[in-house]
Amino acid sequence: MSDISIAFTGNPNCGKTTLFNAYTGADLKVANWPGVTVEKVEGRIRLGDVRCRLVDLPGIYSLSSYTMEERVSREYILSGEAEVIINVTDASNLKRNLYLTLQLIELGKPMVLALNMMDILKKRNVVLDIDRLSGILGIPVVAVSAKMQTGLRQLMEKAVYEKTHFSYSTGMKYSAKIEEKITALTSMLRKKYPKMENYRWHAIKLLEHDGEICRKYAPLLGGIAEESCEAEIINEKYDFIEKILDIVLINTGKSSTFTDKADKIFTHNIWGIPIFLLIMSVVFFLTFTVGDFIKVFFEGWLESFSHAAEGLLRSLDAGEMITSLVVDGIIAGVGGILTFLPNIFILFLMLAFLEDSGYMSRAAYVMDTVMGRLGLSGRAFIPMLLGFGCSVPAIMASRTLEDKADRLKTIFMIPFMSCSAKLPVYVMLSQMFFSKYAALAAYSMYIIGFFTAILALLAVSRITGQKSLNGLLIELPEYKLPSLRTVSIYVKEKVKDYLAKAGTTIFAASVVLWFILNFGKNGLVNDISESFGAVAGRQLVPIMTPTGLGFWQIIVALIAGLAAKEVVVSSMSVLYGIGNISSQEGITFLAHTLNNSGFSALNAYSMMLFCLLYIPCIASIAAIKKETGSWIYTLSAIVMQLGLAWCVSTLFYQIGRMIL
Amino acid sequence: MKLSDGTKGSKYRIDKILLDASVTRRFYALGMTQNTELAVLNIKKSGPAIIKVRGTRFAVGRKFCEGIYVRGNGE
Repeated sequence: MSDISIAFTGNPNCGKTTLFNAYTGADLKVANWPGVTVEKVEGRIRLGDVRCRLVDLPGIYSLSSYTMEERVSREYILSGEAEVIINVTDASNLKRNLYLTLQLIELGKPMVLALNMMDILKKRNVVLDIDRLSGILGIPVVAVSAKMQTGLRQLMEKAVYEKTHFSYSTGMKYSAKIEEKITALTSMLRKKYPKMENYRWHAIKLLEHDGEICRKYAPLLGGIAEESCEAEIINEKYDFIEKILDIVLINTGKSSTFTDKADKIFTHNIWGIPIFLLIMSVVFFLTFTVGDFIKVFFEGWLESFSHAAEGLLRSLDAGEMITSLVVDGIIAGVGGILTFLPNIFILFLMLAFLEDSGYMSRAAYVMDTVMGRLGLSGRAFIPMLLGFGCSVPAIMASRTLEDKADRLKTIFMIPFMSCSAKLPVYVMLSQMFFSKYAALAAYSMYIIGFFTAILALLAVSRITGQKSLNGLLIELPEYKLPSLRTVSIYVKEKVKDYLAKAGTTIFAASVVLWFILNFGKNGLVNDISESFGAVAGRQLVPIMTPTGLGFWQIIVALIAGLAAKEVVVSSMSVLYGIGNISSQEGITFLAHTLNNSGFSALNAYSMMLFCLLYIPCIASIAAIKKETGSWIYTLSAIVMQLGLAWCVSTLFYQIGRMIL
Repeated sequence: MKLSDGTKGSKYRIDKILLDASVTRRFYALGMTQNTELAVLNIKKSGPAIIKVRGTRFAVGRKFCEGIYVRGNGE
C-alpha cells in the first residue's frame, strides 16, 4: 500500500471542484462564477493499492498571486506538499487556461493536464488533437468529464504513474534573448545555491521580478536580472499558446453567440439594474408565495405530530413537566422552525439557479457604478448577494477581494442583508399582522436591509475617506443551463444545514429557554412572569420601550435569537406556549395575545426592522472574527449594528405613532 | 487613447498599462499584454466595460479602463 498526494489546480471556474466531487463523493459547492472555492479542501480515495490524498485548491490565473485565495493555492503548490499536480483546464478556453499550464510545467513537478468541458468543444464542432497537445507540452493529457463521469479513472491512473515515472521537461523555449538570460542566471544560481531545486524556474521568476523569489535571492537581482522581463515572458508564453492551438485545434468554431445575445439584455446600460431588481423580486416572490403554499402541508403534519406526542406522553403517565418540556418546549420550538423549510428550500433553489447560470459576475458588472460611488468595487456585490442565503459563506467569499479595506467594508455590510434565517421571523410577523400585504411587508425587509447596507457603507466611506484602491476585474463566464446535480448539491447542503441547525442550536435554545421560563428563584414557577427569563427581560424593558419592543417576552426572544435568528420564532412559540406557531390557529392566537398586550402592527414592523439589523448570529460573529482576525473590528461591528437596529426601530416606531 | 474612451463594438490593441504594479501584473497574467487585441463588447458612460481578450470576456472597472492605453486595431 502506498500513499500519494495530488493537488487539483487550474483557473477559476474551470470545473476543479466538480471533478473533485466526482472523485471523492464530496458535496462541495460549485457555481458558475470565479472564486467559489476560497479554501483548500481535502478528500481521500483509493485506487487499487494506492491511497490518494486529493486537495482541491482555489482557482488561480497564474502563479503570481493577487488575491488571498490565490495566495493559498500558490503557497500550497510551491510548498512541494503535493507530489503530483492535476492541472484542470476548461478545454473550451485553452487560450487562457494554458498560460497557467505553461507556468506549472516550468515548476518541474510531476503533472497531468486534465481537459474538462470537452462537451462544449464538441457542440462547437471543434476537434482537439490530445496526443499532439501532450507531445508539444511534454506532459500527459487526459480528457475528462466530471458531468458524464468519463476519463476519471484514466486521469487518476496517469497521476499515480507520473509520481514514479516522471521525466523532467524544461517547458517552452523562449526567444534567444530571454534564453541567454535564463542560462546566465541558472549558472549563477548553481554556483551560489548548489542545493537548489529547479534552477530554470528560479531564473525565470527572477527575470519576472517575482516578489517572493526576489526577496529570497536579492543578491542576484542586479546585472542580468536588473530589468524585469515579465511582459516579454508573458507575451512569449501567449504567443506559444497561439502556436500550439493552431496545431492542435481543428475547425475552430465560433464562440457562444448565446452569451453575447444574453449579455445584451442582462448587462444593458439602462435596463441592467432594473432587470437585476426584477430577478431578485421574482426570487423573493416565489420564496414567499410558493413556499407558503407548501408550508400549509408541513403545518398539518406538525400539528398531528404534536397531538400524537402529547397523547403518547399522557398515556405513558410522563407527568406535566416532561410533557410540557417536550410539547411546549422542543416540538413547539424545533417543529415551528421546520415548518419554514419550504420557504428556505425555494430561496436556495433560486439562488443556486442564479449562481450556476453565470449571472453572478454580470450582477457585479451591472452594479459596479453604484458600488463605485460607495467606494467599493462591483466585485463586492457577489458576497452581498450571497448574504441573502447565509452570512457565513458570504463573509468568507469576501476573500476574493484584493484590498483589505474593501474586504472589511464588505464584511461589515453583509449582516444587513436578509439571510435565510431571518425569513421565518418576517413570515411569522407579517402573516400575523399584515394579512394580505404579508408578502409585501416581508419583501420590504430585503429592500430596507439592502439600502441600509449601502447607506452604512456610504457613511463608513465618508468617515474614513477611503475609496476602493481596486476596481472591478472579473471574468464573465459563458451562460449555461444550471446543472441539476450542481443545483441539487447546493440545495441539499443548505437544507441539511437547516435541519442540523433545527436539531442542534434551535433544539438546545428551545430547551434552555423552556427552563429559563419555567424556573424562577423559588424553583418551578406556575406563572411564567415570575421566571428567570421574565426577570431578565424586564431589566431591558426601559431601553427597548422607545423601539416599541418594551415587552419582556419579545426581549427574551430577541436575546435568544443571537444563537440563530430562527430562534426568535421558536422562542415565541415557547414563550407563548403555542404548539404550531405558523399554523392559522397559532397565528390567530398569538396575534390576539400580542394585541391584548398592546403589541400592534406598528410594533411588529419595528420588530422586523430590529431583527433585520441587530447583531448577526453567533456563527456569523465567529466568521467575522475569523476573516478579519480582529476582536476590535468584530466588537465594533456588533456595537454599531445593535446601535443602528435600535435607532432605526425607534425612529420608525416613534414616527409611526405620531402618524397613526 | 484610454480604454475608457473606447466605443462599444470596436477592436483595439493594448499600448501600455499604467496601473499599480500588482494590478498590471494581474492584467498581464490574464493575457492583456502590449499589442494584445481586445474587443469592447459594452462600455458604460463613466462606468465599467466588458471586453473580450483571447476568447474570454472580462468586466473591467472604470478606474482600470482609465489606466489601460489602447490604439485602433489598424494603427
